[in-house]
Amino acid sequence: MRSGAPQGASEHLLLGPFYRLIGMAFAIEFFVRRILQGAVIVFLVSFVIFALLRVVSGDPVRIILGPMASSAAIEETAEQLGLRDPIPIQYGRFVAGVVQGDFGHSFIRGVQGGSTGGSQDSEGLDTDNRAPVFDLIMTALPYTAILAGGGVFLALLIALPIGIFAGRNSGRWPDRFALYVSSLFISLPNIWIGVVLIFLFSTKAGWLPAIGYEGLAYAILPAIVIAIEISPVLIRAISVSVSDNLRAPYFALGLVRGLSSNYMFRAHVLRNSAVPLMNLFGAQVIGMLLGGLFVVEYIFSYPGIGLLTINAIFQRDFPIVQAISILAAVALVLINMFVDFFSSLIDRRLKF
Amino acid sequence: MTDTVSNATTGMRTSQRMLAHAWAFKEMKFALGVFLFLIVLAAVGPVIIPASAIDMNVGLRFLPPIFFEGGQWPHIFGTDQLGRDLFLRSLIGLRNALMLSVVAVICMFVLGCGLGIYAGYKGGWIDTVIMRITDVQMSIPVIILAITVLGMSRPTPFSIIMVLVIASWPVYARVARSVALAEKEKEHIRAARIIGAGDLRIMLRHMAPQILPPIAFVAVLDIARMMIFEAIFGFIGIGIQPPTPTFGTIISSGTQYLLNSWWITVAPGVLLAVTLTSLNLVGGVLERSRNHVLQGGR
Repeated sequence: MRSGAPQGASEHLLLGPFYRLIGMAFAIEFFVRRILQGAVIVFLVSFVIFALLRVVSGDPVRIILGPMASSAAIEETAEQLGLRDPIPIQYGRFVAGVVQGDFGHSFIRGVQGGSTGGSQDSEGLDTDNRAPVFDLIMTALPYTAILAGGGVFLALLIALPIGIFAGRNSGRWPDRFALYVSSLFISLPNIWIGVVLIFLFSTKAGWLPAIGYEGLAYAILPAIVIAIEISPVLIRAISVSVSDNLRAPYFALGLVRGLSSNYMFRAHVLRNSAVPLMNLFGAQVIGMLLGGLFVVEYIFSYPGIGLLTINAIFQRDFPIVQAISILAAVALVLINMFVDFFSSLIDRRLKF
Repeated sequence: MTDTVSNATTGMRTSQRMLAHAWAFKEMKFALGVFLFLIVLAAVGPVIIPASAIDMNVGLRFLPPIFFEGGQWPHIFGTDQLGRDLFLRSLIGLRNALMLSVVAVICMFVLGCGLGIYAGYKGGWIDTVIMRITDVQMSIPVIILAITVLGMSRPTPFSIIMVLVIASWPVYARVARSVALAEKEKEHIRAARIIGAGDLRIMLRHMAPQILPPIAFVAVLDIARMMIFEAIFGFIGIGIQPPTPTFGTIISSGTQYLLNSWWITVAPGVLLAVTLTSLNLVGGVLERSRNHVLQGGR
């Protein structure tokens, strides 16, 4: 908490520009500091994943070449992929590639799509025929974006009315209703509710398609599962922050000054309540969303980043896992940075 | 004003008031009752139900639950594709999931809170190092960690617990540290230091009892969360391995027979969801009571 310019200072007749300049300097310092911290985190995360894959996981070459390959062929391919070098050297090579925007090629997947695992010539493998990781991610990313966007949208659709209603009636039945709904929703395991929804709406009723992706309708059921998973956290946060704001001195003060309760609510309470909600998005919801996407995409065979990752880990397709871990860490760092920045813009009481 | 004084002078006041407030909720009594009943059921059920969880019985395949036409006593939840009693299998799954989750939560609570209090109390480079580790850990998705570690060799309860603990301790460390930072400036801690109490004694005897009860509700909610993770692991195939029944493997095996034998997937999930709901209600009420008490309510 740093005290920047006094409140309303930027409107000051003479000193206004001066304070605005200070504000800018703080913003720049904030971003530089956070980007540097973030870079360190991303670097460490990528190294941990990189080392973990190579130390704990099995030998990917066995999967690339299939069970029939001779051990000479396996050694040759491993040499060719650089998998027999010491881990720091491999990591250095990897980072050098990433810095130039090259995330490497998949071990398994061919350019044409589809897996080439086990079917490759034991003569060795042809680098040109393996799909670049970057392309694989870019193909999968839009699907995941649709699913994530739809899931968060549905979650807010559920959580906003319930949460606000509960917050305005703290201690009465809407509050209890919110407790019941969130306790129930958080207790429905995504693997189970996913299969149950497939059974009810797809297998039984035939209303919605469920497996794979051939159109927007395929995203509906998975998005519902995501929404059920993250809405309890949102309901809780919204109701707590709304009821806290209603109890804050400024609310009573507004009423004393003759502003209507509804006006105060619309103009101030909702705005101030948005800050904890945004912080929550940075701290918890993005993490839950990420975890949820992996599992939900797996259940529904939805061709996004999550399915790509899970299959890649099972197939020991290191380059894909490494790239996605880095991107996930970068996304978390950036989102947290912007959340902290914008919450200080919305609520002037917080200074970054 | 009197509130701060009583907080500083008496140790366990906050947690006692918190429990008293929580107990006043009728939801609390109800949920706790359901949960205890399920624990007893999970402990006793497998012993007294006259069926085997592992042996196949081809003649009794695909029996529906007892409330549906064709259901047979004692197969309350019906039977699966190999004629095994689903209720019994679910109860064993519940028992294993509960034990695994409770052990995992205790470990992550002790490890996380220990490191968190240590970081907050010591400050300086120790604090920085521990907090940066939590940053890194929290940026690694659990599923990536889990499949990488568990997908390789045959997963054991020990390795599953280890993955869950490694993935979840940072949350406790963060919370404990932030409370410890505020706590260590209080007078009773400074007084203890002046008297000459050692660091370990201060942290264990004076700080931990103040800090831990208010964040205990996180642990209750986390038992439920770990049970969900256990189910997810089983579903993906990286949980406790067959023939030991787990919720994840039962649900996943049922997906192949969804059209005609939906209960294989649905029934165990209902038992799991009821258990989790009771746990989450308890945790939710505790959380409310904590907020209520910490905000100075009676």
